[in-house]
Amino acid sequence: SQQFSALTEVLFSFLMEPKEVERFLTQLSDFATMNKLSLGPLKNIVKSILLVPSGALKRNLSSEQVRADFIALGLSEEKASYFAEQWKVNSPTLTRLAVDQTLMINQLIDMEWKFGVTAGSSELEKVGSIFLQLKLVIKKGSQMENVYVELTLPQFYSFLHEMERVKTSLESFS
Amino acid sequence: QLVSALHNLTRHVVYRGLTRAEDILSLFPENFHQNLKNLLTKIILENISAWRNEAQASQISLPRLVDLDWRVDIKTSSDSISRMAVPTCLLQLQIQEDVALCGNSPVVSALTVELSKETLDTMLEGLGRIRDQLSAVANK
Repeated sequence: SQQFSALTEVLFSFLMEPKEVERFLTQLSDFATMNKLSLGPLKNIVKSILLVPSGALKRNLSSEQVRADFIALGLSEEKASYFAEQWKVNSPTLTRLAVDQTLMINQLIDMEWKFGVTAGSSELEKVGSIFLQLKLVIKKGSQMENVYVELTLPQFYSFLHEMERVKTSLESFS
Repeated sequence: QLVSALHNLTRHVVYRGLTRAEDILSLFPENFHQNLKNLLTKIILENISAWRNEAQASQISLPRLVDLDWRVDIKTSSDSISRMAVPTCLLQLQIQEDVALCGNSPVVSALTVELSKETLDTMLEGLGRIRDQLSAVANK
């Protein structure tokens, strides 16, 4: 059962950071060597085990249900309870990860700004008007796109005011 | 030729930002008809600020914000998780391309952007800093 908890640890550390594939595979092969298991069958077992938490996330299962699922799959009660416990501890983070993966339309990634003072133009020799120039970095599908937009000062104050209203609205729904 | 000369005169006055009658009067040649000169100066002075504003409005610029709309949605479900209640903001910016290039038929495009609460908070921090910088400049 120590074996099992070590394996569970490896599994959860992968679930928490799904991008660390290299690390996960290394840890798995270390585990296999240490416990004199062959890597191939271990990988298959791990694949099946991993299906349970990802299905659980999709269906918002409670830790009780996760435990029941594992028992139904043939795992001993002790091991199933242990895994379900780990699940309970980690599920807020895992849920967060799943939510973050949810589709976003033209997600705003970054915003840069600068003030421009128009000093003169071909029509007017001396001007002296202030503009706010915004650069918005937007994720369209898998690519980033930069959008440049200029605002007058009154527009800026209006924008700020509207964004504060959005914040109030978002907070009231959290 | 007359129209062209008049056009040049008004453009020059607007460009230089002349606001006093004497400055405008001094532009006319010596033997110019007195009454006509005064009349033209008077008309020009009346229109000066409107012309300046228009020149400023039509100068080259980055695309300009024309309008802003927003909406708050609650995301309830997705392919990665079947139940959630995550508020999110959709912001629609109406942007007009460089006015000087469009002439009389402005090209306005709408861009819809999504912001999570975290992104909005960061953005508000940035906007707050802009406001502080503006007040600092205004108070000098």
